[in-house]
Amino acid sequence: MRYFALAAAACVATAAVAQPMAARIADRQANYKQMGAAMKAINDQLRSGNPSVREIRRRSALIAGFSVRLLRWFPRGSGPEAGARTRALPAIWTDHDSFTRRGAALVVAARRLDAAARGGDLVSIRAALPAVSRACSACHDDFRAPEH
Amino acid sequence: MSRIAIWDLPTRAFHWLIVLLMPALWWTGEEHMYDLHLLLGEATLGLILFRLIWGLIGSSTARFAGFVRGPGAVLAYLRGQRPARVGHNPLGALSVLALLFLLANVVGLGLFASDEDGLAPGPLAHLVTYDSARILAERHEQVFWILVGFIGLHVAAILFYLLVRRENLVTPMVTGGREGSGGEAAMAAAPAWRFFVAAAAAAALTWLIAAGF
Repeated sequence: MRYFALAAAACVATAAVAQPMAARIADRQANYKQMGAAMKAINDQLRSGNPSVREIRRRSALIAGFSVRLLRWFPRGSGPEAGARTRALPAIWTDHDSFTRRGAALVVAARRLDAAARGGDLVSIRAALPAVSRACSACHDDFRAPEH
Repeated sequence: MSRIAIWDLPTRAFHWLIVLLMPALWWTGEEHMYDLHLLLGEATLGLILFRLIWGLIGSSTARFAGFVRGPGAVLAYLRGQRPARVGHNPLGALSVLALLFLLANVVGLGLFASDEDGLAPGPLAHLVTYDSARILAERHEQVFWILVGFIGLHVAAILFYLLVRRENLVTPMVTGGREGSGGEAAMAAAPAWRFFVAAAAAAALTWLIAAGF
């Protein structure tokens, strides 16, 4: 039984290392979808007559947490050459410095938003949100292919 | 021959404002200028609501009851029978209904739609999930292109009337009237207070929807 568990663990570890790029791309897309849904939820809250800071905080925490890991979702080889459907543009790797800077800018903006959400003040939350939107768009404009 | 009134000012203003808004909405949507896109979309919503109310209480040629006819009248028109009154002919009435219906659908879907990054959800998108809002955004775009197709048909029909039938439909939509052929009854204009009632009701409804209810 112990050997079996060990073997299974080894298999899992190997699979994680050799995780095919298609799976990495799918994970990345799922993560971005979660971030998009979180942004929508924050905007929805702020638009409603009675915004819930708790609901906003849940989402700002997700965005701040994901923003830190985001650059790691783009290993070399996970671009269009991977063969899977992806809108990640080759510029991510050819102009990696600006890509990294955009990622860092998101971390700063997302942390500010999360700090404002934890503070619970809606005025500060509203003030911190546009910088996050701009950080999303700044990267998507240059490093993501259009939808169609 | 004397000049007779056909279209009142609110109907003409509605028409030409939509003409201006359509390319602006397309461009702001295409370029992801969502703040402006939503603002213009809300303006379009207000115009549609106004036109629907004006279709009930406006001048004679603006009223649905005045120009929407049954299939019999459409067939008679196609066989060459000239309508007895000014305004939309029975076939043109169908075009007006189709354009208004599609426009209302595009705007209605846009209210519940969201961009993929969740940056600018429509004013009623809080009522649906992210996934639904994304599907509705796709429909929003698809129905827009159907609308563009019908606008093309509308423009082609106007060109047909101008070039083949030698009838200019554009000038009356600008000036509000044309030379009468005699024996035609002109438009019965609605009093100004009705315009203010319709505009106020449309503005109030638009404000309610834009605020997310």
